[in-house]
Amino acid sequence: MQTAITLLAVLTLMWGMFRLIPGDPTTVFLGSGELPPEALAALRHSWGLDAPLFQQYLDYLHNLLTGNLGMSFYYRRPVLDVLLPMLWNTVLLMSIAIVLATMIGVAVGAYLGWKRGQRIETIGSLLVLIPRSLPIFWIGIMLMIIFSYTLGWFPIGGLRTPAFIPETPIQGVPGYDLAQHMFLPVLTSVIYFVSDPLMIMRTSMLEVIEEDFIMFARARGLRERTVRTMARRNAIGPVLTYLAIMVSFAFGGQVLVEVLFSWPGMGSLMVNSVTQRDYPVAQAAFFLMAVITILLNLLIDVLYVFIDPRIHYD
Amino acid sequence: MTDTTVDLPRRRVWRGQLLQILSSRVGGAGVLILVVFTLVALAAPLIAPYDPLLVHRMPDNSVAQLLPPSSRFWLGTTYYGRDVLSQLIYGSRVAMIVGIVSAFFITAIGTNVGLISGYFGGWVDTILMRITDVVFGIPFLPFAVVLVALLRPSLSNIILTISCLLWRTTARVIRAQVLSLRERPFIKAAKVAGAGSLRIMYVHILPNVLPMSSLYVALGIGWAVLAEASLSFLGFGDPNMLSWGEILYQAYLTGSFRSSWWVVVPPGICIALLVASAFMIGREAEIIVNPRLRNL
Repeated sequence: MQTAITLLAVLTLMWGMFRLIPGDPTTVFLGSGELPPEALAALRHSWGLDAPLFQQYLDYLHNLLTGNLGMSFYYRRPVLDVLLPMLWNTVLLMSIAIVLATMIGVAVGAYLGWKRGQRIETIGSLLVLIPRSLPIFWIGIMLMIIFSYTLGWFPIGGLRTPAFIPETPIQGVPGYDLAQHMFLPVLTSVIYFVSDPLMIMRTSMLEVIEEDFIMFARARGLRERTVRTMARRNAIGPVLTYLAIMVSFAFGGQVLVEVLFSWPGMGSLMVNSVTQRDYPVAQAAFFLMAVITILLNLLIDVLYVFIDPRIHYD
Repeated sequence: MTDTTVDLPRRRVWRGQLLQILSSRVGGAGVLILVVFTLVALAAPLIAPYDPLLVHRMPDNSVAQLLPPSSRFWLGTTYYGRDVLSQLIYGSRVAMIVGIVSAFFITAIGTNVGLISGYFGGWVDTILMRITDVVFGIPFLPFAVVLVALLRPSLSNIILTISCLLWRTTARVIRAQVLSLRERPFIKAAKVAGAGSLRIMYVHILPNVLPMSSLYVALGIGWAVLAEASLSFLGFGDPNMLSWGEILYQAYLTGSFRSSWWVVVPPGICIALLVASAFMIGREAEIIVNPRLRNL
């Protein structure tokens, strides 16, 4: 219910935002071409632009809910057709990056927390601050300079090599070309995302190792490794809660990574369509990102109950 | 959390906090970097060796394109033959303006929303917190791209966009603090003595949440500088202002980043240093506000 209200509010806000455009879609669609006033009026009528504002708002909601996102001004195709393939590319890149960053963050964070007060912990905690302060696109540029231009190991961008012909057996493995193109964007995102789960895991670990059951486990003479696994499992909660926030800001990083590596995803599509004044596409792309953020927040709330049975929702 | 600050005179608390930040190694370094950047930004016309937009030419009158660092151009020149160092120095102005103004708005809006929400409770609280939830549901950079592009890219629109969204964390944290302060005896005493809501909120509660707010001033500077750089890099920067993100955008657009490290590395390091200094001060402020962290 609350999620529905949030969604509705975001939708309304977005609708209002796109009303800020000077002129109306016809000026964008037709450019400054001279169209007879009657034809213009007919076009405005067929797009519902002469209806009262409130009616336009209701139409907009109705269209969105029935999956009718309109026509792209630029591609001259339904927005949904343009958007869907891009959506999968984005989901692919982002999910791999987030899963990897979380896994690495949890592992390293737990390790640093366990080594509390030792030199490696101090150094590690300071090192993580570095990627946190760097703009993600700058990390990407540096990786590109090193791995693509200097070493020539990875392609500079895009989704796949046009007319890719495998030359060695290993290049014949399905997905080899895609994996090669994905490597740098994923690496960039992982470096950028990893610091937060890492710091949270470390802090959480520091709290857990103070607890009685850890002391008891030690007193029972369990091996160090076993105790560490126990502590880690109990410390993971805050990282999962944080995932929801991470997804929301991950879209920001995703936009930059996609533009930098010319990855054909929703982020680069959105930036391009804003520049090309293709507002239906920009609006739909932005809408999808907001919906995904809100729904994932809900999903993680629900998942949390399964992971930590002590929590209940009414 | 603020037990110790409640009974102390306000001024002493503030001076104490500042001194504590300065005396720690991390916080002191952060303040030092921030001060240096501020001075550079203020004195930009005095210390910049050239006009940042001046196109330099070689003796044969060709554009001095992408010259490596030398004694004449300490950090080399850009694709258009401009001095990188001068651009960096002028770029610090944009970064400082965006950082400080946005941080002020982020903190002011967030603190007020948290204060009102926490103090009044009830339906006021419900409405304000629902709004905060909605704002949390909006992905920041995509929103900023759309809004800045629709409103036309300019420094004030960038600041507006940042301030519009990033107050959300401050609001939640301050509200939580106000909720616990509201039940303290000194607030009840003020109420019994006949103080009005406004007076209680701004005279009695506000000073106690200000240390926490100041943490968000520091974090806000960091967020805002990163946001401005990202927007400029996507081509939505203020076309009339030179910013570090803009330098990187030009380097990317012209492809000069491939061959000339000096157009990429210096602006990146400047952004990182400024953002890191803000986060370092923030970390120290956090430890002071929340002493439990000291042992962690």
